[in-house]
Amino acid sequence: MCKKYRSCLFIILVFLFNSDLAAQSCNYTISGQITNKTTKKGLSSIGVLVNPGNFKTITDSLGHFLISTLCANNYTIKLYSKDELLESQTINLTKSQTINFSINLTITDLEEVVVRSKKDDNKNTIKEELSIKEIDQTRGQTLGEVLQRVNGVTVLQTGSTIFKPVIHGLHSQRILILNNGIRLEGQQWGSEHAPEIDPFTADKFTVLKGAGALRYGSDAIGGAVLVEPKSLPETPGTSGEINAAYFDNNRMYVLNGMLQQNVKKIPALSWRLQATYKRGGNSRTPDYWLWNTGVKEFNYAASAIYRGKKITSELFLSAFNTELGIFIGSHIGNLTDLETAIQSQKPIQNIDAFSYEIGRPKQEVSHFMLKSKTVYQLNEWYKMNLVISQQENIRREYDRVFITNRPELELNIGTSIIDLSLEQSERKPSQTIVGITGTLQENVWSGSRFFIPNFESTNLAAYAIRKWNTQPWSFETGIRYDYKTLTTYRNQNNQTRSLTQNFNNISASLGTTYKINNDLRFLMNAAMAWRAPQVNELFVNGLHHGSASFEIGDSTLKSERAYNFSAQLKYEPDSSWNIDVGVYYNLINNFINLVPSVPPTLTLRGAYPTFRFIQTNALLAGTDISVQKTFNRHWAAGVKAAILFARDRIKNDWLLQMPPNRLEYNLTYNISSKKMSNSYVQLKWINVLEQTRVPADFNDYLPPPPAYHLLNIEFATTLQVYKKNTTFGLSILNSLNTQYRDYMNRFRYFNDEVGRSLVLRVKIPL
Amino acid sequence: MKRFLLAVLVISGVVGCKKTASPADENEHESVNKIEFVFNSTGSAARTFIMEDPDGDGGNPPSRIDTIKLNAGTTYTLDVKTYNLVNGVQKDITSVISSQSSSHELYFIPTGITVAITKNDKDRKNYPVGLNSTWVVGSAATGTIRFKVMHKPAGIKGPNDAPTVGHSDIDLNIPVKLQ
Repeated sequence: MCKKYRSCLFIILVFLFNSDLAAQSCNYTISGQITNKTTKKGLSSIGVLVNPGNFKTITDSLGHFLISTLCANNYTIKLYSKDELLESQTINLTKSQTINFSINLTITDLEEVVVRSKKDDNKNTIKEELSIKEIDQTRGQTLGEVLQRVNGVTVLQTGSTIFKPVIHGLHSQRILILNNGIRLEGQQWGSEHAPEIDPFTADKFTVLKGAGALRYGSDAIGGAVLVEPKSLPETPGTSGEINAAYFDNNRMYVLNGMLQQNVKKIPALSWRLQATYKRGGNSRTPDYWLWNTGVKEFNYAASAIYRGKKITSELFLSAFNTELGIFIGSHIGNLTDLETAIQSQKPIQNIDAFSYEIGRPKQEVSHFMLKSKTVYQLNEWYKMNLVISQQENIRREYDRVFITNRPELELNIGTSIIDLSLEQSERKPSQTIVGITGTLQENVWSGSRFFIPNFESTNLAAYAIRKWNTQPWSFETGIRYDYKTLTTYRNQNNQTRSLTQNFNNISASLGTTYKINNDLRFLMNAAMAWRAPQVNELFVNGLHHGSASFEIGDSTLKSERAYNFSAQLKYEPDSSWNIDVGVYYNLINNFINLVPSVPPTLTLRGAYPTFRFIQTNALLAGTDISVQKTFNRHWAAGVKAAILFARDRIKNDWLLQMPPNRLEYNLTYNISSKKMSNSYVQLKWINVLEQTRVPADFNDYLPPPPAYHLLNIEFATTLQVYKKNTTFGLSILNSLNTQYRDYMNRFRYFNDEVGRSLVLRVKIPL
Repeated sequence: MKRFLLAVLVISGVVGCKKTASPADENEHESVNKIEFVFNSTGSAARTFIMEDPDGDGGNPPSRIDTIKLNAGTTYTLDVKTYNLVNGVQKDITSVISSQSSSHELYFIPTGITVAITKNDKDRKNYPVGLNSTWVVGSAATGTIRFKVMHKPAGIKGPNDAPTVGHSDIDLNIPVKLQ
């Protein structure tokens, strides 16, 4: 049924979980041969995975495989090439059985397949990874929209163009985004600052829920997002891929191309080039167009790797450039304008028409990253990693044309990170990693709207991580010490005043997995993390772009400290059920919170509602539940729920701007046909409840919007077009054209959400 | 091999050192933080009233808002001037508004006083601007003038817009005394 193959995939990756044997006296076997349908030859090095029990093997040179110590049970056999699923079959095992597979591969030269193990760095961390199917469904969308597919992740939106991921109610600096192993150091000062990453550069998206990613920083008290590219090819040959998508709502087209090669003359050297272009116009709600909501994006990336005997060196360069229109009806001068805008049902300052033009107000953001990673294999058991990276982020905010054509606010932040670590081989039952990290960051601003001061920041850290397995337990523990300095500069009355602040702290984490039996796994994470106040929380004194609010920082803020406890139960009794229940309890002391304050700020432009950063003690607790059931080879269904309670423990009230509860129901019909593979139709019903847990003393301009329901339809298939496995996708988002507003969208005061959108996607391997 | 590694390190190093402006240099460019109302009437000297907020938005509230004092029963011509004031250096930026007059309009909304205000200047579509206006002052009274500069991006401005159209570049309540 599932025949998916790209000629570029020579590498087989087999998960390196320690597969432990079933405890009962089970001695059945599954054996067989895997052959190429066209050549009838046996296929070597195909990964075979049998579940439940996580039994694995790879086929020998003739394509034979054997898996033993199986019990009488229903088993699913999955065949993989690299991490691509080639075929999946469920059998009811009552005696030892021989099953042969013939696979429709377009290439014959599998002799050179290299077996490579794929390690899972975070197996004791509560996490969720997007499936290839889900990634394909989101191609062309922003990182925030991609991550929204993960249960427990929501987005904080600014209009229809800016999406920021929120994990368990926390976002911005409380979330760490790792782009190809490097901390993304962009400008995360507010809700309208979206992560500067092109999702096309990655084919793996993992969300670590809770504070556990100590290796990359102590400040990720909400969780971490790992955005990882596919590894570079290891056997000679050139390959590529073209992706194209069209979104009919805003007439957006997206083109992406990728080319990669393993150099024939220097087999140790491989490279990849990638580029994405995106252009979209105004979005449309069910009732009206939203003027100036276009988007323009151009991204490119290049990577190269040299795999020597002892040294492996990798270079990665990426550029992300975006220009985003900001809905004209949301750009507010002052409190009076805001009240006028809110009182009207339909935006009054709008031009109800389509255009690709992006005018003021708008944002232009560029992010450049250069990374070099060198791994030196010291001996059989130890290796040394040196990672050096540099990031430059330039952000321009244009409010309006008034005095100059220059941006009202321009911020340029540069970050250099160097990380040196010593790592023990994963082949040992226990593994230790120790390392040191240094970070230097500089920020320069210019413009007419002061927002945050210029600053220089350094961070020195040392960390140690230890992992070990004693079946049925496995553990991972980490400890980290950080020393941070922050020097800010302000130019007042022709004098430069600088202020230096120091922060230092210890963070620790413990993750453990208890394998109750082959069907049931229990994970528990406890972490203690801290986050120094960011420069905006300390020193912001200015208008927030387009939100008609004045933000005031507090230079006496102390570090936030989080105590994070979470647990997860994973139950997979047989291949047809997949139950995942996670609970979390996150206590954050000195939680830095932006709260409304009186009096409003008076300026020549009028009065502005004012918000100040204050500290409180917070509690964020909740649950993420997912139940998926496969009924037969055609039908599957599932339910997901994400529930969050966020309390201010000092005021004994709810916290502001926290995601409401969310439910999702899905029903999938897999189409089996000889001509099409991987074909399905999926209905997804999303129900976002009304946020009733809002602080009693906050007089919101508009109460939280009512609950809403959305129906999304997804269809995909893979067809042979000119002997290439071309994947087609068709999605209908908000298919009922529901008119709604979302509590997590800062523009809910001004306009409805986007209406129905038809999305077409094509993926062509080269 | 070693050369390759060296290149990697050198490239990282070179990029790491680049920074055009020092974080200690702060560059704040023009914004309106001073407004001047110049009233002229035949046969008497010009009267100038000033509103200013030298430290810009935030920080301290506007430091000076003059009370507009005009003679009852008199007709005046008002010229509005806008300035950028940084560290005592003053720059006239009235021409910026007049050159972008098709996306700006000035409003004067009286409360508690009787003044008939007519905008004299027009943009290229012949829509009102308001940098120059005629004030026919009524009887003696005390009240306020709400002064607004509304910014109206492309295509929004019309011939008879209410003062709520667009977003506020300036919005001030100025005390007025007619005597």
